[in-house]
Amino acid sequence: MRSNTVGWLMLAPTIAILAVFGIAPFIYVLYVAFHHWNPFGADPLMTYNGANNFRRLVFDREFLLSIAVTIKFAFFAVVSEIILGYLLAQLFMREFPGRGLFRTVHTLPLIVAPIVVGSVWRLMTTPSIGIIPYLLKTWFGYDLNIGRDAGAAFLLTVIMDIWHWTPLVTLTLLAALLSLPKEPFEQAQIDGANRWQIFWHITLPMIRPAILATVFIRLMDALRTVDEVWMLTSGGPGAATRYVGLHIWKIVFPKTDYGYGAAISVIVLYLTLVMCWLLYVALVAPRQKKEAE
Amino acid sequence: MEHHVDPDTAEDRQTDQRPVRRTGFLPIRTNWFDRLFVGIYLFVALELFWMRFLEQSIPLTVCHVLAIALGVLIVWRG
Repeated sequence: MRSNTVGWLMLAPTIAILAVFGIAPFIYVLYVAFHHWNPFGADPLMTYNGANNFRRLVFDREFLLSIAVTIKFAFFAVVSEIILGYLLAQLFMREFPGRGLFRTVHTLPLIVAPIVVGSVWRLMTTPSIGIIPYLLKTWFGYDLNIGRDAGAAFLLTVIMDIWHWTPLVTLTLLAALLSLPKEPFEQAQIDGANRWQIFWHITLPMIRPAILATVFIRLMDALRTVDEVWMLTSGGPGAATRYVGLHIWKIVFPKTDYGYGAAISVIVLYLTLVMCWLLYVALVAPRQKKEAE
Repeated sequence: MEHHVDPDTAEDRQTDQRPVRRTGFLPIRTNWFDRLFVGIYLFVALELFWMRFLEQSIPLTVCHVLAIALGVLIVWRG
């Protein structure tokens, strides 16, 4: 049997699962996006309406606002997670007492379900019973109320996401750092390079693929965050934390406007792909140019 | 005259069936699938932009023609 045939046969189960659970639902969502479909409304039949759902969303202020807020959230969360994750990974590279225990405790948030994370943070930030408003009031005289203060609500959703997902970044970057050879670092030290030069010219280029993969995973996750934020703020106050996932949920479930919800989902997928591709180009193009020179 | 064949190189040549990458006017080296992907991105972006800002004065059909032409140009020369 030719090696190509064997390869395709071995890939067949994965391709079948991908087709059934990935591609077929996507095609169906795309199909629904070009229809008016409100199964619980006055006209429950699915009727073709061309690009009207897309025409509607480019004028929908709530949707455009939710996109802007989501991008802001994803930017602050992912950048903070990468920086903190790298610093923690560097910390775990060193020997210190209780390193094993600290490493275990540090990864615990990863195994907590997002909905539970949201509930816990809700309890911790509820005025009059939460520990965080109590401590902020006692130490700094600051009155934290995420039901009223839009800025604080946004900041808390970012902090919650950082708390939940930084361990993932740490583990990925730690694995990348541990796999690096020692020779280039020793040679750089012999040549008199300082720590910043070693980081910028050796460490960073060598762990670039790991950083890129981590950024992609976290960016895609941050752009579709729903449950944590739903539990913590329910998208409020006003629309301050109404991220696009929450917006879609509100369109599809309470309003049962499936066609418009599908159109928004397709555009969000499109934006996620565009952002990842632009990021990929920004990080890969300079290296290709350098190699060509 | 004896003809020497490097077995590693010959095997690589046989098994390396990746699409050919080249540099066009896009800022990175791409294969045809990358360029098709970029073409679809720009098609959607142009359609949405047109619906938001230009459709009141110029029909969407013009946008379809322009977007398809742009897509073909990117796949061909990108």
